[in-house]
Amino acid sequence: MIENNSLLSMAASASRHAAVRQTVIAQNIANADTPGFVAQDVVSFSQVVSGGTDGFDIRHTRAGHLAGSEGIEGRLLIDSSAQGATTPDGNSVSIEDQMVRAADARRQHDLALTLYRKSLDLIRIGLGRG
Amino acid sequence: MSDLLSSMQSSVSGMTAQSMRLRVSSENIANSDTPGYHGKIVRFAQVAAGDGTSRVVSGPPELSNASLERIYAPGHPLADAEGYYDGSNVNLMVEIADAREAQRSYEANLKMFDQARAMSSSLLDLLRR
Repeated sequence: MIENNSLLSMAASASRHAAVRQTVIAQNIANADTPGFVAQDVVSFSQVVSGGTDGFDIRHTRAGHLAGSEGIEGRLLIDSSAQGATTPDGNSVSIEDQMVRAADARRQHDLALTLYRKSLDLIRIGLGRG
Repeated sequence: MSDLLSSMQSSVSGMTAQSMRLRVSSENIANSDTPGYHGKIVRFAQVAAGDGTSRVVSGPPELSNASLERIYAPGHPLADAEGYYDGSNVNLMVEIADAREAQRSYEANLKMFDQARAMSSSLLDLLRR
């Protein structure tokens, strides 16, 4: 039962991914009027999770996320400029597009937390405390 | 959790910058009839925070170099020999649009702050069981 905690660590990783994504979107919106700023997003969680032997081998969403907080790794960031949103001053943030992405990050985070909670419930039932 | 905190700090820096922009815009509107007044412009820039994420700062206000409006008023104390005096170079239409945009961006930042707060509180709810 307990050795099946890859589900837990995957849920933790997914919630971390959603939190990193939220940070990147918040940066985009904070810089929505900064000249020359290019909108960014984090690669999808399916690209972060690699297909290991048990299917859930976790790669880190960021280099230092288990050790401490360092910056978001550059290779995980992608250009998310919306079509036609680039203004004459070189800013490519569309607030509407970022709102959609933020709603998606919120949904991913809720999903990950629900998964985590349900896995813990499952373990509790296994221990006879459900 | 620290990601969500730096998310909130990014949003706060955005709100600070936008309220600075609104302040300068209202100063310009208040002085739109002041003779010889040059409108102020705020420039935004992206800065890196210590934890690898980025924030936005508003630079010091710069003076607009648009030419001053020549107003014909022969009875005005500042009028020259031809009866003209220099008004301000504030374009009210531009300032109102700027204030509107500042408000819209401020609300977007506030919404992101709210969402980061909701996400971190639901994360803490896990510990409460």
